[in-house]
Amino acid sequence: MAALGVVMLLPFAWLFSMSFRPPAEAYKMPPSFLPPTLDFKNYWAVLTSSVPFLQIYWNSVEVAVLVTLGQLVTCTLAAFAFARLKFPGRDSIFFVLLIGLMFPAQVTIIPIYLGFAKVGLLNRPIGLVLMYLTSSFGVFLVRQFMRSQPKALEEAALMDGAGYFKIFYRISLPQLRPALSALGIITFTQTWNYYFQARVLLEPQQAMTLPIAMDLLRGYLASGNLSVVMAAMSMAVLPVILIFLLAQKLVVEGVTMSGIKN
Amino acid sequence: MQASVTRTKSDLEKAQTRAGYLFILPSFVLYSVFVLAPVIVTFVLSFTYYDPMAGSRWVGLENFQRFFTGDRSLQIFWNTLCFAIFAVTGNVTVGLLLALALNRAMPAFLLYLFRLAYFLPVIIAAAFVSIVWGYFYGDDLGVINYYLIRFGITPIHWLTSSRTAMMSIIIMDIWKNAGFFMILFIAALQGVPKTIMDAAIMDGSSYWRRFFRIVLPWISPVVFFAIVYASIGALQVYESIVILTRGGPGDATRSMSIHIVEEAFDSFEIGYAASVSVIMTLIILIITSIQLLASRRWVRY
Repeated sequence: MAALGVVMLLPFAWLFSMSFRPPAEAYKMPPSFLPPTLDFKNYWAVLTSSVPFLQIYWNSVEVAVLVTLGQLVTCTLAAFAFARLKFPGRDSIFFVLLIGLMFPAQVTIIPIYLGFAKVGLLNRPIGLVLMYLTSSFGVFLVRQFMRSQPKALEEAALMDGAGYFKIFYRISLPQLRPALSALGIITFTQTWNYYFQARVLLEPQQAMTLPIAMDLLRGYLASGNLSVVMAAMSMAVLPVILIFLLAQKLVVEGVTMSGIKN
Repeated sequence: MQASVTRTKSDLEKAQTRAGYLFILPSFVLYSVFVLAPVIVTFVLSFTYYDPMAGSRWVGLENFQRFFTGDRSLQIFWNTLCFAIFAVTGNVTVGLLLALALNRAMPAFLLYLFRLAYFLPVIIAAAFVSIVWGYFYGDDLGVINYYLIRFGITPIHWLTSSRTAMMSIIIMDIWKNAGFFMILFIAALQGVPKTIMDAAIMDGSSYWRRFFRIVLPWISPVVFFAIVYASIGALQVYESIVILTRGGPGDATRSMSIHIVEEAFDSFEIGYAASVSVIMTLIILIITSIQLLASRRWVRY
């Protein structure tokens, strides 16, 4: 079990170690699984290369942060309505929203591409953000959580004449912290990792996010510069690894929940 | 008196209705624009020959016919099914074995380390780890072949032979995703009632007998869910193949997703690409409805 665990981690050990190898020795065998030096030259080489790495990194941060914030807002609002309010058509609308879980990105990408081309959103990271400002899964997750919470406080506030938005903001929202941190973490890592959609919608280097840019960098810097590619890779995976180390339990639970969404 | 009470009640209902629609408005508008409408448009496009210059025309089932009669598209269809069958089997089996191995009392820090090791690949993008595996799988400069040669084993053309390329991609996929199913199964295993297990142990039944007679039936809904979930993901396989082999050698590893992107955005065969994505969606819908029907039955007993 332990030996297998080490094998599982080898690709990561290799990637970090190689990022510290001098480029001239990149392909020398045997490979390293521990950093041979602690020289950040390769990292510097990435930042000063002709690939706009900082811009690309910023695109990834921008997309992941905006999508996460957007989903936290839109999903919580909708979840409050579905869990706490009664209105005509509520359950059918919720059902329609849930059907969305079954459609893969492949079946929406063509019209979105054509539409984005028409309105000038193609090749702009903000297009990717707009696409993912809400998610059926997020609404579902927060609604489930909210239904398990007692609603006595909310009813009391209603009796006192508080408006629905005030009840949502002052009473429901503070209770939702565990659900929101789970949703936030899942959404951030998922968005950080999007490849299919980004590859179709973001073509120029300036507009790329990290997952597509890594493929480009590999070809671009490849000849002998394996170490430099791995330095870029280390920087690209860093946020997700940090989140995982800091909130392992939340990540594991959250990602598993996102699987049990159906 | 009576009248005023009814009025406030209906006022409250009105306020609630208004609030309800307002709260779901952002999600519903975004969902309609970016999910519902595109799905409908894709279905319509799949029956057309799309040509914005000369005008699109209705072609009925021609696109679907083209997919199911073309040698190349059938090979791609077969590749995707093949990948799905082996990746799903591998992921679920390895995940279950790992869960069985981990489902015992152990110090908290060990559990932490194991979860770290097995779950890390799950959350790092396939786009990133595939590049690393690309170097591992290299022919002459690859890490794996270096060790094979050192131990006197003939090196393998992991990605450059059409006989092994798909297998190599499936191996990486299992490395990447088995940890997810492990976590799923650990949760399920903890639900197996201890009293039944203890009774079986008292009766002296062996570990594997207990597994097949008690544990497996008990967690079978979760296993079934895992198979369905894994299949849906596997049918969409894209980035690992794009990065490792670009669909090659030849068409040996080209998947439906790659086909869709190439046809739609390189050849601009929009109608045909839409029909391929509709086929993929229909398969997913069928698998999902089987799951929904089956789980309803399971819940009942």
